[in-house]
Amino acid sequence: MDEQTVMYLGVSAITPFVLLVSASSLGPLGIIIDVFALIAVALILMLNYADFLIFPAVTKLLGIKIQLSKEHYCLKEQNAILKYTGGIYYATGYLTANIYNYVFNAESSNPNSDDDQISLAPEKWERILMNVDFPFKFNVITDAKDVQKYREDLEGERGFLEFQLSRESNSSNPNQMTLTELERKINVTQAKIDKMSSGELPLNTIMYIETTAVGISEKDAVDSLTNQLNRLETVFHTFDVNILRVVGREIHTLYKLNYLLYEPQLIEKLFNHQK
Amino acid sequence: MAIKTNILIFTIFISISVLFAVGTLVSTNPALTILFSIIALFFSVLGFSTRFYTYLYIPLFRSRKRNIVLSNQEAFLLSPSGNTIIINDSVGTYATAFVKIPLYRSSTEMTESEKLDLGRTFSRVLTLTKETTKFSSEMYVVNKDEYINKVRAKLQNSSEKLREMQSSEPSNSEKLNRLKGELTMWENLISNISSSRSESLVTYNMVSAFGQNEEEASSIAYQKAEEIAAGISAALGVTAYIAEGEELLSLIEPNYMIPVETVNEIIRQKSIKEGI
Repeated sequence: MDEQTVMYLGVSAITPFVLLVSASSLGPLGIIIDVFALIAVALILMLNYADFLIFPAVTKLLGIKIQLSKEHYCLKEQNAILKYTGGIYYATGYLTANIYNYVFNAESSNPNSDDDQISLAPEKWERILMNVDFPFKFNVITDAKDVQKYREDLEGERGFLEFQLSRESNSSNPNQMTLTELERKINVTQAKIDKMSSGELPLNTIMYIETTAVGISEKDAVDSLTNQLNRLETVFHTFDVNILRVVGREIHTLYKLNYLLYEPQLIEKLFNHQK
Repeated sequence: MAIKTNILIFTIFISISVLFAVGTLVSTNPALTILFSIIALFFSVLGFSTRFYTYLYIPLFRSRKRNIVLSNQEAFLLSPSGNTIIINDSVGTYATAFVKIPLYRSSTEMTESEKLDLGRTFSRVLTLTKETTKFSSEMYVVNKDEYINKVRAKLQNSSEKLREMQSSEPSNSEKLNRLKGELTMWENLISNISSSRSESLVTYNMVSAFGQNEEEASSIAYQKAEEIAAGISAALGVTAYIAEGEELLSLIEPNYMIPVETVNEIIRQKSIKEGI
């Protein structure tokens, strides 16, 4: 959780907290206020951790459509972007597809294990293409990290882990599990430093899949889109990916990313909650 | 600017919330106490929601309608040179350029070491530039309309020839049979083309730039794209180039990704299936 979120959470929780504490002095009335305050706290926490549930529910309940540009709008369910042109509806939907085993971020200390995955990737990709008969896009947004800073961070991390390891091994009753875990973490950090030394650069990446379906009505297009997204979810399981349909405010950002790439810090912040 | 607006709206909501919380504590009327507490808590939740939704609140308050209009402008404009798109955002003017990466190799014709090399090279391509970029692989529907029209013209031509032959030389059965065969061939070809869709795969890179005006943004984006194209060409051994005009639109616009002629065919086939 970043500092800004902590600030927002802290300040927003003042009122519910004050009411919770002081309502007890109001007798039976206080119990009602306590219940409302607890509901407010729950809503704030849900907005922070699962706003993809609350936001579409609110827009659906109030029937709010969001017009993103002259020809594009977002449905009240917040799960698809629609374009209406030439009497045809084009519905676009998104799936998260963060490949956690991207070679640099993978928690592996053995470079040979990455090789197997890399050499299998083209074949897996082509198998996916063979099984899909509708348009889709696989997108990877990359942003290079500051190499010097990242290296210093890794070296600092390794130093701290080594210190913890030496303290644990010098203690009167060293825990074997802790020692093994610390040694593993040191090896992973060292492997990342070695990769950088061999010329590979650390990256921030955001990956997602996008597909478009057509229909003669809004419902027709959205139903076809849902089918396509389900099929993509199935075929992409051959990769080691965590796939989820994107709903809520992130869909507005993904729509914009089709045309425009913002500054990396802004993109990273927008997707903080998807990770 | 956006952050300042966020904080301003957040402060307003939280101030209202605190004000009503104080009202709850000092009020002696039970009904008012409950009402004030509900309002205080509502604004507290609303205050937190500004963390993510300020961009929706301002248009919502302005329009006071059920539908929120974030923009009623075109999503982008094609630059006069046709090789970048211009986006006028609330922050300023941006331009985006697209680099097409023609990759024609398939893993089925590669050895294990070649597959590994390709994977590693692609991993390095991702780190070519320090700019924020997007690499995409797009599978799109091929527009077969032009081809279908050619075959239809040939079909029509053959059928006219057959009609003429039937009226002028009805006894020349050899020639008639040949023309009938030709006609059947074109009919079969049309039915084969229409019964299946053809997809094609394209890989591209996208890069954006900010500028004081459209020309500046467009020129910076084009320069960045040229650098990336040169880097990709050297790394992958292909001729990467900057997409222009319709080729560029097919990378971003759904109606170019799925041509309208094919859409009609999809809808027709869907209706037949549903009918069955």
